[in-house]
Amino acid sequence: MIRAHHQVLLVGMLVVAACRGAAPRAELPPLAPALAHADTACLIAAGRPASRDTVTIALTEPVDPAHAPLPRNVAERFLFAQLYETLIHVDCQGRVLPALAGSWEQGAAGRWTVTLRSDARFWDGAPVTARDVLTAWRARDSSLAQSIAVLDERALSIDPSGRSFQRFADPALAVTKSAPGGGWPIGTGQYWTTGAAGGADALWASPMAGAGLPALKVTVAPASEARDAVDANVDLLLTSDPAALEYGRTRPQYQDALLEWDHTYVLFAPEASGLELGALRLESLPQAVHVEARAAQVNDGGLWLADLKRCDVAAAAAPTLAPPRRRIVYEQADRDARDLAARLVGLAALGRGAVVAGLAPPAFETAFRGGAEAAYVLRVRRRTVDPCAAARELPAWVPRGSITPLIDTRTHALVRRGLPRLSVDWDGAVRLVPR
Amino acid sequence: MSFRARILIGLGLIVLLPLAVFELRVRADMAGRLTAEYQRRVASLVAVIRADLSRDSAGTAARLDALKDAIAADNRFRLAALQGADRAYLLDYAGNAMRVTGLAMLQVQDDQGRIISSGHFRNEYDRVEPELPRLLAAAPGGMALVETRTAEASLLALARADSLRLGGRRLTLVGGVAVDSGFLARLAPDSDLAVSLALPTDTPTRVDSAAQVVSALAVPFVDLRDAPSLGEARIVVTHSLAPLAALRRRVDAAFAAAVLLTGAIALLLASWLSNWISRPLRELARRTAEIDMERLDVAFESDRADEIGALSRLLGAMTQRLRAGAARLREAERRIAVGDLARQVNHDIKNGLIPIRNVFRHLLEAARGEPDRLAAALRDRQGTIESGISYLENLATNYARLYPQPAREPCDVNAAVRETIRRVSDASRGELKSVLADALPAVRTDPLVLRRILENLIGNALDSLASPGGTVIVGTTRGAGGDGDSSVVRITVADTGRGMSREELNRAFDDFYTTKPDGTGLGLSIVRRLVLDANGALRVETAPGAGSTFIVELPGEAE
Repeated sequence: MIRAHHQVLLVGMLVVAACRGAAPRAELPPLAPALAHADTACLIAAGRPASRDTVTIALTEPVDPAHAPLPRNVAERFLFAQLYETLIHVDCQGRVLPALAGSWEQGAAGRWTVTLRSDARFWDGAPVTARDVLTAWRARDSSLAQSIAVLDERALSIDPSGRSFQRFADPALAVTKSAPGGGWPIGTGQYWTTGAAGGADALWASPMAGAGLPALKVTVAPASEARDAVDANVDLLLTSDPAALEYGRTRPQYQDALLEWDHTYVLFAPEASGLELGALRLESLPQAVHVEARAAQVNDGGLWLADLKRCDVAAAAAPTLAPPRRRIVYEQADRDARDLAARLVGLAALGRGAVVAGLAPPAFETAFRGGAEAAYVLRVRRRTVDPCAAARELPAWVPRGSITPLIDTRTHALVRRGLPRLSVDWDGAVRLVPR
Repeated sequence: MSFRARILIGLGLIVLLPLAVFELRVRADMAGRLTAEYQRRVASLVAVIRADLSRDSAGTAARLDALKDAIAADNRFRLAALQGADRAYLLDYAGNAMRVTGLAMLQVQDDQGRIISSGHFRNEYDRVEPELPRLLAAAPGGMALVETRTAEASLLALARADSLRLGGRRLTLVGGVAVDSGFLARLAPDSDLAVSLALPTDTPTRVDSAAQVVSALAVPFVDLRDAPSLGEARIVVTHSLAPLAALRRRVDAAFAAAVLLTGAIALLLASWLSNWISRPLRELARRTAEIDMERLDVAFESDRADEIGALSRLLGAMTQRLRAGAARLREAERRIAVGDLARQVNHDIKNGLIPIRNVFRHLLEAARGEPDRLAAALRDRQGTIESGISYLENLATNYARLYPQPAREPCDVNAAVRETIRRVSDASRGELKSVLADALPAVRTDPLVLRRILENLIGNALDSLASPGGTVIVGTTRGAGGDGDSSVVRITVADTGRGMSREELNRAFDDFYTTKPDGTGLGLSIVRRLVLDANGALRVETAPGAGSTFIVELPGEAE
């Protein structure tokens, strides 16, 4: 059974660390001071903020508390970034900023010593201790937990062997504890919530005391209703729907903020799939989808899948048999993956008679693991802190098969002017910045 | 073969044979009519489908024509198609138009046959497929079935093509409606009729004409596989013969039920009829089998008014005549025996008289010649005389013992019954009652014989009572003789004793047969002989545990 966060590694494809496709390293970054108010390098829509008590957010993808704190889509990435906190932040320029960790230093025998912020509190008011950090990590990465020693109430000693310090910005390592009765895990972020989002109901997230932030009213609606959110004067709309973006640009009070090309659609094909891509006009692929897309950029160092050889995973993979079914499968909820798969079939990438097939997430997960299909179209995060760790989560047949990046996509933030400042993290997560 | 079996077989054939013939005729007639009806329905449906296809083709042509006007008026499409701007609009155009027009297939191709927009397979754009419009144009009526692709599967559509000129370029529109299972199901008005499609690319399937009525409609088919060509598909209409088979099964079941019911009724009827006829015959046969010269007292009474009753009465009369004949025969035998006896007596007496006559002659000669020697001669021959007389006395005694000659005189049966009851009544042995009819005719017999008959029967009845609580009823009635003219006096002696089994009854009249420890076994044998001598009849009605009734019938005197 694959652990929950590992499923995300597979299906959402992947996860975090600080640097853009950087190799693992054991260097301890210098302790950076809090960014100056004038530093706008990672701010979006940095206009003059208006004072307000509530900010309304419209998201176009579903939000499931069971996924917290590891997001599986843009909507969850935004919301979880407000609710949960990791030891450090890595901003859009790769700078390491304190978060739960107030300071860090190289300790004895080269171990890292991380000291928690003295005012760090869970939502329920309990102080965050080093043991809470260890408990939270033990459930998600046992090997990491084994390399940690609790020094005192607020200090941790970490063995840096083979690790990147930026890894501690991974949302999977956000410090949480279970809530009595289930629901949202109790976090340490700037906001807390106990509600649910979906349908006509909005989710309210309240700021922690002293955070200096307005309350959040989050509505989740299908992308087809994104324009209704614009008509309702929502403060922030995160979407990639071209119709909604085009509509929002016609409204003078809105500003379209482009976020990073943070996702790439990749075609995975087993070794004996019979896939013929050489003669195909893959440059026409961006036209196949209904979102803003570009031909996949693999040479800019931004896609961690571009070079797996250094991870030494290919030798461990066993040869795979010829896939019996000539079809390209995708996760059925992903319309862009469907369009790409259809385009590949239209280009006769598998010859005549091939078809596409959309599978429900569990079935897709099983099919991807099995490698019995001719090819898989999958959306992956372009960046990950530890490419080799992510590569090890891939099915065993992948290193021997072909990996073809198809297109890159990105999300837009349609921001109402006068909104409090928003910053972008290394992974594209949008975060409200306190006044 | 028994009479009973013949009746059963005969009745079965009479009932079942017409039923079987009737069912076969009904089945054949039903199959012929229904098959003809099915063929008419299939032919009608083929005609309807042909009209539907024409209507669909005309509808598709109208929609493509309207789409041509819309495209011609759409500047955004024009810019995208001619100048390459707004490619997304162009790619999505066919899909949007398809949804608006209700078509299942729509693609726009340029003058090179390149697909610039496809509704059923959006991302098939830029594929070159010039053969499809050409083949559609060559198809009869401009309409053909096309097996085209979608991303998920192939799509079969009834398609036609149209074209327009845009900015000096010729664009072709290919549109159609889906021919899927729903389309075919809509063509079939009910579940008995099925519409299927046979493509040239399909593996031929064998049609079972015994199970269905089949007709087909040819439709042009564009085969876009390796070598695009125009072929022919067939829309096959079948009407299942399953309803007919089901109807046959129901008819068979109904006939089977009718056969079983009538067969059962016939069986019961035949059984009752054969019993009704054969049982009295068997009874007659049984009684007839009992008749022999010693057993001529078998009763053949019957109150039936049919032939069996007449036969029974004839046998009764015959038995009565046999009894009379047997009595006469015995009388004749007796007379012969008496004649013989008389001659024997004559001879014996003469033999006895001869010495006496000789002595008497000797004495007579002595009296005439030597009177003084008469006394001496008498003394000398006294022994001879005494011996002769003794011989004759013995002879007379012996003959007297030899055969008692019954007297035949009118006897009052009721008086004899009362006298016998008075003599043998013994409360310790059981209750003895009498039920006597008035005005009985007298019977001609020896009173001593009548007395011996009654004494034996009543005594036996009293002996048969198991306990003193039992009852013996002696009754007399008047009855009609076997010839219907004469009268009989019927004496019944009924007891409540243990009765007799069949085996006991069969031996009851045998000499020396008895069930009593101190019995001689001669009582009933003597009674039967006496009754027969009196020209009467004796029969018994008995059953184990139900007592016995002895019935004596004696001819009555004419009044």
